[in-house]
Amino acid sequence: MKKLMSKWIAGAAAIVAVSALAPAASAETTYNIASIADFTGPYADIMKDLVGARHAAVDWWNDEVGKKMGIKIAIKDYDARYDAAQTASLWPGIKAELNPVAVLGVGGPDVAALQGRLPTDKVPMFMSTAAYGFAWKPDPWIFNPRPTYGHEAAAFFEWFRSSRGIKAPLKIAIISSEASPAYVDIAKGAQQYAKENPDKVELVETVFTEVQPTDLTTQVGRLIRKGAQVIDIQTNTAAVVATKRALQALGNTDVAIMMSSHNGLLASGKAIGGIKDLEGDYEVYGMAVPTEQKTNSHDFWELVVRKYKAPIGWSVASVMGFNQSLVALRAIEAAARKVGADKVDGDAVRTALMATPLASDQTFGFLPNLSYTNEAPFPVSGLTVNIATIKDGKYVIAAENAPVPVITKW
Amino acid sequence: MDPAGIFATSFARDAALIRTRPQQIALILFLLFLMAIPVLFGPRLLAISTLILISSVIVLGLQITTGYAGQINLGQAAFMGVGAYTSGFLATKLGLPFWATIPLGGCSAAVFGFIFGLSAVRIKGFYLALTTIAAQSLFHFFVLNLPWFGGSNGLTLDPASLFDFTFSSDISLYYLCLAVAAIMTYGAYGIVRGRHGRAFVAVRDDDVAAGIMGIDVVATKATAFLVGAFYAGVGGGLWAYFVRFVAVDQFTLFNSIWFIAMVIVGGMGSITGALVGVVVIKCIQEGFVSLGPSVVAQFPSIGGDVVFALMNVFLGTVIAAFLIFEPRGLMHRWNILKVSYRMWPFPY
Repeated sequence: MKKLMSKWIAGAAAIVAVSALAPAASAETTYNIASIADFTGPYADIMKDLVGARHAAVDWWNDEVGKKMGIKIAIKDYDARYDAAQTASLWPGIKAELNPVAVLGVGGPDVAALQGRLPTDKVPMFMSTAAYGFAWKPDPWIFNPRPTYGHEAAAFFEWFRSSRGIKAPLKIAIISSEASPAYVDIAKGAQQYAKENPDKVELVETVFTEVQPTDLTTQVGRLIRKGAQVIDIQTNTAAVVATKRALQALGNTDVAIMMSSHNGLLASGKAIGGIKDLEGDYEVYGMAVPTEQKTNSHDFWELVVRKYKAPIGWSVASVMGFNQSLVALRAIEAAARKVGADKVDGDAVRTALMATPLASDQTFGFLPNLSYTNEAPFPVSGLTVNIATIKDGKYVIAAENAPVPVITKW
Repeated sequence: MDPAGIFATSFARDAALIRTRPQQIALILFLLFLMAIPVLFGPRLLAISTLILISSVIVLGLQITTGYAGQINLGQAAFMGVGAYTSGFLATKLGLPFWATIPLGGCSAAVFGFIFGLSAVRIKGFYLALTTIAAQSLFHFFVLNLPWFGGSNGLTLDPASLFDFTFSSDISLYYLCLAVAAIMTYGAYGIVRGRHGRAFVAVRDDDVAAGIMGIDVVATKATAFLVGAFYAGVGGGLWAYFVRFVAVDQFTLFNSIWFIAMVIVGGMGSITGALVGVVVIKCIQEGFVSLGPSVVAQFPSIGGDVVFALMNVFLGTVIAAFLIFEPRGLMHRWNILKVSYRMWPFPY
């Protein structure tokens, strides 16, 4: 009886001990990410996918990675309306309320409003867009997973020239607008590449037009007469539509239009009345292309939609949401491994990002391999781009991992 | 009108801005409240307060140009941009301190505004509005193409500093903006109650009659633009030190329209109305922005896109309702209440 009693006591003690230890083992440290969005500004129509992808990526990470590390990431959305004033007024409150270890930004106004603040506040911001010339400075606290739009265009020019077997310099034209400094900066990047590589590219003309052009027949006719082989349009869908209509009106189908992510084939195709009109045109950017072809990134999207009921489509916007979130989450992960799961802060996240190269597999192929340095807000070497086109009326990948050339800062 | 029993028995008393003891007490309490904002509220409200102060300076200028002198101005954001860029240029390229760059920013904006004021001599109303929109386009073009302003790269500023003290914290920036806003508000009251202010009102009400009475209509209209643009330039200088980065797309026509909306909601032809308009519009805007995440968190199925968009629609409706039901602004409503209270129990 005594033996039985002591067994019971020992058993009860063991249960108490395990119960006491169990909470410690499963205790989670929660870190916050601030998700700046544009629900009421010019990019409101793509926010559902972009912000939805951010939340889905966080859900996945909490489930698959965070749980094992004893970390939970909480994400909270803020509407900054793509307005620098709004971002500037929101930020002190976000910092006080969330004390975030990372911020996810939308575009140029967020960069403009916070680039002076973040180094002091020691919080890194992760973007999804290509980098901006005005933010190309050393010791960054704002990180882009893609090089500048100029770099992406240059990568396309080199790929196009080699894939077509063109020996002479490729004749390019740029259609842009002075309505936005970002558009001017985009044009400057391509101009700089052309200036540095006269053996590869000849810039026949940069056309600065109104921000939403309706008729570009005269300008495009001039570009055709000058022998342009590619027209670089990284501004908006209106410019693509006007240029395409002009090419059609002039009976020219040989000149290819090159677009970016925010005015790509699907968006411009929708605006022009169908992607078939953009047969033989291209889009280029340093992240996954959302075609229906089976890729790691497509599989990941399917997984989060199925498992976490994420209400997001497979689009450029969701790819952008995934890319920035995954970089931020992997940086937090690297920081936790380095300083401990309960000691992560913004400074540690930035340091870990700089010290830890990010393999493409870690972002499910949404991005190429990334190695950040103190030199620039984007990896200055080893980057690649993906190129998509419309072939036989279908949206398909034309090339993957085309290398990005070096361009000196303009 | 003054309360019963208050008589101006000397010129100094007649000219006084504060006329009664309760007004004195109310002003002191209000100033103490403004001074205590950093202690009373958190960082979010402090940042909003700082932006309200900056916007107040800009909208005060617009009130003088449009509300008092009757000159429609849709280029106030451009004038603000000129001030911001001048302050940024002088601070980064010449290393001048903020106490020099902000007034000089105001002066350069005043010169830019004066040029457009001259066009107001020949045209008015709708056509003048179009001309001031041209100020937006010209500003944009000059900044992007002139070599001194950083073009598409913009200008990055260091924080404002005075001797060894740096205005880099939210609290110090707030007090800097509060000091400048207080000086500019006092100046605005002085201007509109002085000879120039009366000339502005005369020209606004009937420029032909004003001319016959001996007012130099040309100079008055140009001066109204000069003063209004100076205020915008000073506000732009504060903005430059607040964000510490100046880019041309921060000063758009859309911003100018918001400034006009603030004047309308507050009440045309009232300095206090301009301040009230800024506070009301900014508080509604920021209130919605702050409320949005909580609503989304409570009802995630609705989605942020719907919640935030609906709030913006609501804000637009509030402004439209003001234009329909009280086009003379909140100050008009307040004045009716005040007069009724003072006349009570008599109807008039």
